[in-house]
Amino acid sequence: MDDVISGAYVFTGERSARSYALNKMANSLSTPANRATFQADEAAYMTGLGCSDQQIDLVRRRDWKGMMEHGASIYLLLKIGAAVGVPLPEIGAHTAGITLAEFHARKAH
Amino acid sequence: MATLIGGIGTSHAPTIGVAWDRGQQKEPLWAPLFDGYVPARQWLDEVRPDLFLIVYNDHVNQFFFDTYPTFALGVGAVHAQADEGWGKRPLPDLPGDPDFAWHLARSLVNDEFDPTICQEMSLDHGVLSFLPLLTDSDWKVPVVPLAVNVIQHPIPTPRRLYRLGAALGKAIASYPKDRRIVVFGTGGLTHQLHGTKFGTHNEAWDNEFMDRLETDPAPLSELSTQDYMERGGTEGVEMIMWLAMRGALGRNVKRVTRNYTAPFTTGYGLLVLET
Repeated sequence: MDDVISGAYVFTGERSARSYALNKMANSLSTPANRATFQADEAAYMTGLGCSDQQIDLVRRRDWKGMMEHGASIYLLLKIGAAVGVPLPEIGAHTAGITLAEFHARKAH
Repeated sequence: MATLIGGIGTSHAPTIGVAWDRGQQKEPLWAPLFDGYVPARQWLDEVRPDLFLIVYNDHVNQFFFDTYPTFALGVGAVHAQADEGWGKRPLPDLPGDPDFAWHLARSLVNDEFDPTICQEMSLDHGVLSFLPLLTDSDWKVPVVPLAVNVIQHPIPTPRRLYRLGAALGKAIASYPKDRRIVVFGTGGLTHQLHGTKFGTHNEAWDNEFMDRLETDPAPLSELSTQDYMERGGTEGVEMIMWLAMRGALGRNVKRVTRNYTAPFTTGYGLLVLET
């Protein structure tokens, strides 16, 4: 099976392993208390959960495309997005390399 | 004796739950979706099921990649709601049916399907987004959830899901208590969330899939995982859970209702079949 199909990343085990710490950090944001701790100091929270400097930088820059290329699952990006107030269309448009307006135009067809 | 009275294929999506909670059922964007569920709900009111067996996928809410089961069966008396990151919705926990669930576990393992057995299994939008559209949200009908890994590859094949459906049908037929059971397959239809084609779907394939699922499902189970992803996006592979629903029903079915709409990132399908 291909790792990339029609420009889309297939979330393989290898991809999952590469981005494990970032996905694990995102997964921890499923309680209000952890979300509050993360929001208070994102870098410290991520360091405490074993994220690399590269992963911390990707989140700091809200580089959703970079996070996905690094291997993060969209379902975990959604949890980071929920904690920082960025919804799916914005994350998805960024990962696709288009603007939100271009995304909405795409959906109008 | 238990009776399998029908099957429901339905999409699931967080946005459906958000729109429902906001009361957007009659808004122009959403009415084509919500109105489509009205005949399905009427059918359920008429046939009075007393158990829902729901084949669905978790979205990294109950399970994380530290331990990610290929199949997982919820055998608890209660299923809590998962916090997906936005906080919980105003819905009560769902009742389970441990007696049937343990029977199902024994029957499946005897049939060489080996689910992870979960005495606690919180449910996400994979179940809770569409369920309020079909039944009162005080949850009078217990739910037995069967989660399938369609997130982290390798995932089970389409053929495996179709055969799982046959095993579900067998388990229902061998359950000694009087239960009227509806089996669900939920996911899809086509959508693409990872990569450059974010937000695209494939309406022609969605409708072809629902046509063929009803009348001639076996060839759909012979397609590969890659076929499903090429036609319907990497997340469109969730469609294989509909094969489990259809596989449970046997050869002859009668369509009760069908609906299709695609207002956002996902092709939203609904297909209700009666045995």
